[in-house]
Amino acid sequence: MANPHDDPAALKALQDDIYREKILRARSMTTEQRLADVFELSNHQFGMMLGGAMHRLNTRDEAQGWLEVARWMRRLDRVREHRLYAVEKPVGV
Amino acid sequence: MTLQELAIRVLETVESSNLGFMVVGAIAAGAYGVPRSTKDVDLLVGVTSEHDLSEVMAQLAEFVQFDPQVVFDTITWGRRHVGVSRSNPPFKVEFSELFDDEFVQEEFRRRQRFFVPVLSRETWLPTPEDVIVQKLRWGRSKDLDDARDILAVQGTDSLDMAYIEKWCERHSTLERLKNALAEIPPLD
Repeated sequence: MANPHDDPAALKALQDDIYREKILRARSMTTEQRLADVFELSNHQFGMMLGGAMHRLNTRDEAQGWLEVARWMRRLDRVREHRLYAVEKPVGV
Repeated sequence: MTLQELAIRVLETVESSNLGFMVVGAIAAGAYGVPRSTKDVDLLVGVTSEHDLSEVMAQLAEFVQFDPQVVFDTITWGRRHVGVSRSNPPFKVEFSELFDDEFVQEEFRRRQRFFVPVLSRETWLPTPEDVIVQKLRWGRSKDLDDARDILAVQGTDSLDMAYIEKWCERHSTLERLKNALAEIPPLD
């Protein structure tokens, strides 16, 4: 099987196919179903992060795992929110 | 505590305060676009000079630890109160105060009431057009992805594109709108 990364046009076609499938799936859902998915995905994501943190710490202690997840989240926030928030509003704004 | 359990507690508390509000952020974007995970319960709340958010945050103190420091976003300079859930996972709760930004006022006025089965309640959400405009205004990569996905899922034929373009022109984000539309491949 050819590697699509060797052919930009084939790679674009593959990306479009994947995106099209994602959009058509979302279109087939109701607003309520899409909202339910947001909650399910969010809970699942944290479950996966907990598993990853416990594996990384080589522990079976969930409490330790959650502390590590919280530390990761704080680091992520610092990166994602850099320059996006300020504790003072400039004069005249 | 799951995200929906936290969201129910937050919504119950804000509802009981009689403050107007709507759910924004990834939850609102997921309602109209491609659902994605989030760590936040984000609300825009219509505070008044007599009635601010301090009572709401005090009532939620058992579940959410709010930072006493108010922050301002550097795009619209809106005031925001940020808290983290006391239980695991460490979800965030963000209350943005309604302020005198013309678009935010309009977005809030146009909000719609939805029954959300996963929360066993009706709640308020912005319109898809307003989510697109606001996401393009913020312009982070995840915001641009959300805007593109809502445009793709809802379809330009069912969205009020004139309304979206009007606000994008005012926010100087027409180029972002054009790029988002150009990224959507033919879907049929």
